[in-house]
Amino acid sequence: MAGPASANRASPPPVASATDVTKVFIRGSEPGRIGRLLGRSAPPTVTAVDDVSIEIETGEIVGLSGPSGSGKSTLLHLLAGLEVPTEGTVRFQGRDVASLSNRQRTRLRLEHVGIVFQHFHLLESLSARANVALPLVELGVGRRTRRQRAETLLERVGLGDRTGHRPGELSGGEQQRVAIARALVTDPTLVVADEPTGELDTDTGRRVLEEFERATDDRAIVLASHDEETLAISDRVVKLHDGRVVDDPRPDEKGVVDHRSGERTVAEFHE
Amino acid sequence: MEAGRAIVRWLARLRTAGEITVSQLRHHKLRLGMAIVGIALAVLAMTLLAGVGMGVVETGEQQFETADRDLWVTAGETRITPVGGGGFENTLYDSRNVSAAISEHEGVRNAVPLAFETVYVGTGDGEFRTFVATGTTGGGSTVQVTDGELFPGDPHYADGTYEGDRTNEVVIDEETARQLGVDVGDTIHVGGSYAVARENEVTVVGISPTFERMLGTPTVVMPLSELHQATGTTHTEPATFITVTLEDDADPETVQQDLEETHPEYEIRTNQEQLDAVLQEQVLVLAAGVTLVILAVGAGIALTANLLALVVYQQRRAFAVLRAQGISATLLIASVVGQGIAIGTLGGALGVALSSPSAHLLDRLASAVVGFDGLVQLSPTILAGGFLIAVGIGTLSAALTGWRISRTPPLELL
Repeated sequence: MAGPASANRASPPPVASATDVTKVFIRGSEPGRIGRLLGRSAPPTVTAVDDVSIEIETGEIVGLSGPSGSGKSTLLHLLAGLEVPTEGTVRFQGRDVASLSNRQRTRLRLEHVGIVFQHFHLLESLSARANVALPLVELGVGRRTRRQRAETLLERVGLGDRTGHRPGELSGGEQQRVAIARALVTDPTLVVADEPTGELDTDTGRRVLEEFERATDDRAIVLASHDEETLAISDRVVKLHDGRVVDDPRPDEKGVVDHRSGERTVAEFHE
Repeated sequence: MEAGRAIVRWLARLRTAGEITVSQLRHHKLRLGMAIVGIALAVLAMTLLAGVGMGVVETGEQQFETADRDLWVTAGETRITPVGGGGFENTLYDSRNVSAAISEHEGVRNAVPLAFETVYVGTGDGEFRTFVATGTTGGGSTVQVTDGELFPGDPHYADGTYEGDRTNEVVIDEETARQLGVDVGDTIHVGGSYAVARENEVTVVGISPTFERMLGTPTVVMPLSELHQATGTTHTEPATFITVTLEDDADPETVQQDLEETHPEYEIRTNQEQLDAVLQEQVLVLAAGVTLVILAVGAGIALTANLLALVVYQQRRAFAVLRAQGISATLLIASVVGQGIAIGTLGGALGVALSSPSAHLLDRLASAVVGFDGLVQLSPTILAGGFLIAVGIGTLSAALTGWRISRTPPLELL
């Protein structure tokens, strides 16, 4: 079981942080000029994340829990730079994500963020090795190095003998491990994973989680999940409900967990 | 140094885009095959319909060119196809004398009246069908005979007395022969009415495609005087037009101007002017043909664009994931442009390859059913146009769809 790694450091700068962040989604499109003339009203809105503040630090695994619609995925996407907040500030290594252009945010994700989706989303036509190596093309890494690095990572996740296989020839667990290798290939400072074990059986899910635990060296990992076993590898679990943080157990300098809402402790989760 | 590194990086991107293109195409073989077939059909539709349009115009031009005449004289009407009621409007009356007068003009070698009439034709079994009969004073290179021979001129006219020997001979085209079930040497009955037709037995002496091509319908060719007699019009001697052949050293424009001054009541036209006049009379048919060609090209473009857009759109989720991972839009667009070029090229090439045999098939079908030869005229320009549209539109639509997908926030597609 991973301990609260951040407790062992003085005051490391957060990898990513959200301050008073609100994210509102519009359902449908805004009425145009003609639509307004015809009396079309503004479409309904949904507040997915409501005034949330959170800090993610290097070396820690942070779990995001909560029921469906609680805002876990949206918060994950905000921290990864896939979304920009409607209000508040999301910073990545001190940079305000909203101030970056679309192209800069794409570059930021390429260089600093690894993303693991529930449905793996691998390119079906490419081999496991090519899927993993693809992001390195954008970074200008040479062909041989790309190949080497992809094979090393695939070996690390236990797929050394499956590098030439296409996703369709791999099991769900193997595909997810390829996705993890792809997320790690650029050596990102933050890895976000949305329901990474959602489509896997218990044993396969456990093996995938072991990969995450091994991957924390110099980076932070944020996992969004319903599954308590998945969240159990986290150093802390942030609970969300209706878009708000209802529990964010922050360890103090002495390593004692401080439950802001006092609902449940990390220990309780792990037990 | 920095520029060199940038070039190397770009080359790596292009190579990767190429690898993605090839792998995506190879992986989705059914989709690739369907897209290629779809585009090939679009190209085929474009080339064949454009070929039909070309065929109409070219056949018309050839008809007038092969008539081997320099000028055409009409009395206003230029119609050479049956009118709505099934008959022709031969408005150039006293055609023999007019022809003779024109023949006397300086620079004119000869002037020959041509008349088209709808007649009843039967084989003697009591049943009659309507055909177009062409009356000519005979001879010369105007009537091309492929089997048998041409009747020996128009002796029955006998300087307008209609007392000369009747030839009682006709030349028909292959379609007429097929429809009537007759060949060279057989006899048929021809007349402007049932009664005349029953009495007027003639012998088929030759097979000629000349007037069938000109009129686009099965035709019986006979001496002009015998046609006038068979249709009861010897007193007015009407003709559809008079064709004029000039001396070798005569200038067509000068002779045309002179004839217009001498015969202001008639229209004197060159081959091209006559063709234009005929085409103008058939403006509705031409408009329909042009509309058909435009629609075919439009439909071909739309089909090609939609197919390629669909092929790219089906990959939107995979591309969204790559965008989420930080892969640049440039690499993705390069990849889909590669797919557009590949599918457009393969589909275009297949479409072009199928065009010639399909055109041949259509020609044979049209020839067998309606007796119209050379329906589809494929030219290198049409084939190249079809191919370029497939590649160009395919690439463009793939690029545009790829660009739109790259502009869409990845999460909206996941």
